[in-house]
Amino acid sequence: MLVLSRKVGETIWIGDDVEIVISEVKGEQVKIGIRAPRNIEVVRGELRQDISDSNAEAVIKSFELLKNMKK
Amino acid sequence: MNIHTSYLGEITIDPTEILNFEHGIPGFEEEKSFILLQLDENSIFQILQSIKTKSLAFILTIPYELVTDYNFDIDEATLKSLEIKNETEVAVFSIVSLKDTIANSTVNLKAPIVINTSNKKAKQVILDNDHFAIRHKLSFESVKG
Repeated sequence: MLVLSRKVGETIWIGDDVEIVISEVKGEQVKIGIRAPRNIEVVRGELRQDISDSNAEAVIKSFELLKNMKK
Repeated sequence: MNIHTSYLGEITIDPTEILNFEHGIPGFEEEKSFILLQLDENSIFQILQSIKTKSLAFILTIPYELVTDYNFDIDEATLKSLEIKNETEVAVFSIVSLKDTIANSTVNLKAPIVINTSNKKAKQVILDNDHFAIRHKLSFESVKG
């Protein structure tokens, strides 16, 4: 993974159309601004992880349960 | 074409019905092709079966059948990536997480599966909306199946 050190107000560009701005650092919390075209999705990591976990839980494991669903 | 499934055995499918998830779904990024199978005629549940992995299948349901006020705007990223031009070509499903009982089972309203029925492009969309839960209880009363 590429790791860069930045100060408040400094930016990082990803490609030609995504700009990341470090807007505030307070203790353990960092506020990050993201300027990106609307066709680029921005999702918090823990939310994506939660969806991922939920998908893993939802994989069908038993045909018996499925048969019961049919009733 | 024939595919192998763990729960329905070997089945024949129409290859033009295969759904294309360009980036897979979270947790299953390498699974790009699925087919939607009807469980039985009257059921509100369907199976989303992976084409390449026979043991990978999900139960889907139509969220509007469970939650009457379920609605959301499809974001621009999704409209673009699925090439959606018209509301009428969109189908929306939710993944059901089946537990030991229906009462303990949940449905993911936060991240619906959105399908462009015209070109078969599909995506699991993560909604920017706090009203919908990832694990919404599948209450027995609301299941008409």
